[in-house]
Amino acid sequence: MTDTRAPEATGTAAWAAALLSSFAQAGYIRAEPPILQPAEPFLDLSGEGIRRSLYLTSDPGGEELCLRPDLTIPVARDYLASASSGQPAGFCYFGPVFRYRGGKPSEFLQAGVESFGRQDRAAADAEMLALGLEATAAFGVTDVDIKTGDVALFIALIDALKLYPVWRRRLIKDFNRKISLAKDIEQLTLAANPTQNEYEGVLAALAGSDRKAALALVTDLMTIAGTTNVGGRTVAEIADRFLEQSTLKGGALPRDALQTINRFLTITGTPDEALRQLRALKADAKLDIDAAIDQFESRTQFMKARGIDLDTVRFATAFGRGVDYYTGFEFELHRKGNGDDPLVAGGRYDGLLTQLGAATPIPAVGFSIWVEALTQLRHQIAARIPGAHS
Amino acid sequence: MTTPFVLAVPSKGRLQENAEAFFSRAGLTLSKPGGARDYRGTIAGLDNVEIAYLSASEIASQLARGSVHLGITGEDLIRESILDADRRVALINPLGFGYANVVVAVPQAWIDVRTMADLDDVTTEFRAQHNRRMRIATKYINLTRTFFAAQGIVDYRIVESAGATEGAPATGTAEMIVDITTTGATLAANGLKVLDDGVILRSQANLVASRNADWSADARETARIILDHIAARARASKYKEVRTRFKGCNAELLAEAHNRFGVVSPFGGPTSSGMLTLHCPPAQIYALGSFLRDHGADTVSVASLDYVLDRDNPLFAKLAAFLPPA
Repeated sequence: MTDTRAPEATGTAAWAAALLSSFAQAGYIRAEPPILQPAEPFLDLSGEGIRRSLYLTSDPGGEELCLRPDLTIPVARDYLASASSGQPAGFCYFGPVFRYRGGKPSEFLQAGVESFGRQDRAAADAEMLALGLEATAAFGVTDVDIKTGDVALFIALIDALKLYPVWRRRLIKDFNRKISLAKDIEQLTLAANPTQNEYEGVLAALAGSDRKAALALVTDLMTIAGTTNVGGRTVAEIADRFLEQSTLKGGALPRDALQTINRFLTITGTPDEALRQLRALKADAKLDIDAAIDQFESRTQFMKARGIDLDTVRFATAFGRGVDYYTGFEFELHRKGNGDDPLVAGGRYDGLLTQLGAATPIPAVGFSIWVEALTQLRHQIAARIPGAHS
Repeated sequence: MTTPFVLAVPSKGRLQENAEAFFSRAGLTLSKPGGARDYRGTIAGLDNVEIAYLSASEIASQLARGSVHLGITGEDLIRESILDADRRVALINPLGFGYANVVVAVPQAWIDVRTMADLDDVTTEFRAQHNRRMRIATKYINLTRTFFAAQGIVDYRIVESAGATEGAPATGTAEMIVDITTTGATLAANGLKVLDDGVILRSQANLVASRNADWSADARETARIILDHIAARARASKYKEVRTRFKGCNAELLAEAHNRFGVVSPFGGPTSSGMLTLHCPPAQIYALGSFLRDHGADTVSVASLDYVLDRDNPLFAKLAAFLPPA
């Protein structure tokens, strides 16, 4: 069933050794977390969807364990448990991970880098991209497409538009999931929530009334009704969201906000081109998104300083990796002309360590290398298969 | 010695009674030669068939493995316990009993939540507020996961529940549930409501065929005979037999009867003596009788059909299309 491809067997060992030593020279410590991991953090951070691809087991004490499906979470947990937790620290890794992938081998190699605790985010972002390019180059693959994005820009835009919280939540979620963003934006411009509501009358009566008083009224009504089974949510939470629906009745996403979002999502090009377009949009729509743009510009400067040819970098405001833990810069390196599976993929995930239990927020950025894809590509190049560079 | 053809039947309760009644209506009498406590049985007249009495969930897994050829079990169990179910088993015939809906139910107090879209929003907000995911108590782990994935909902966790699932939100072990319901009364009694678009599956008992079973020529022939009985009974129960004789009957009249009442004429038009036999859906019997009398019939007789054996057997055709070529 499982095709175990040892590094030696695929000629990857020498490359991995060279790569890890170059990461070590750059200050990244080799991390070797156990293969057998508690399942809870993976399920908690990735959601139930990942259970389908996990190799799960349990010990006699009933604890659920799994073979590590990636190395980011194990490395982050070890860092949090270490004495240097909260301090800047960088790690690199190389080893097998285990995921059911329907047909493809379940055990495969992954390498990567994680950088924790650095407050100079723009510089750290640029360093990740540079290290990712080094990794593919060390493998003999130099001709790559560099795709980048920045979800922090989208979030800044939505915040600056001062939308209803429910729209803000929905748009940000859709963006992260890469699904139906366009469809959802369209829907929000029509009357929101066209379904009939059994509390139509109450909502209509409350619409436009003083929010505080209305909230108190709904909360009281629920309390009087003896509402005890609220399933983990507080009465205030329910009342709050209930009232939110009354504000949405008949309302729609303002036309100009829609135009701004659509214009934002079309921005694409080299980082410099994108920067020009972002500044123009900001000025035209009078948006307060300077901090996010400055961060973007600063990152671009650091990329240049690291010797990355900016003309080869493609930035798109709509680029998102479809994983909701990214909070800022995101990037993928692809074989030239091959749009699907990345060779290297990563980004900034400042929320992860907090979700893993850190008391204060700790910045985090990193990437992983798809050793399998790189190995295949190198074999193709070596065999001069027509189309390897197409 | 050929290996027996194995037909799996639920081993207890209403499901067993209904299944046995279903076979008996089709003219297949199940019996337990070893006594009522035996878990193996036979069908009178079909020597090569072995009846395996198993729990409904065990039937689902044995169908997936191929250790039984045909079985009766709920679609909910098929969809829940068999990965890639449509490739490994075929639902040959819904049986009209064992109805149960698998639904998403939340506390009634969530007056702001009516649809899955609301739930999507609430689960995300909950995670942001409480730094943990909402929990769903269920035994339908795969159905839940697939349904929620199709809706794009990711901010939840599943808590496996072996029983009394509807009590989980009240006891605080989960925020909501996915469970089966027939009337919704148990859910309501526990302060829960089903979301407007929260029906994951409308399930009923089905006659199910396994793809991985040993489908020898003998096994196929046995299946054909069993399905022939069932199809003959199913065809018979959809119609009443209507007989009459009158002069004015012609093709035009038959065409009109077909269009207006869904009547079929299994033996063609009237015989030379004017005798006419029609099959008519039970609900249209009176209307058809009136129509025939209006056009000259003096007497119309209506009788129930026990079996109608057609050359075509839609159930076996379905099975044959599903199985790999012999």
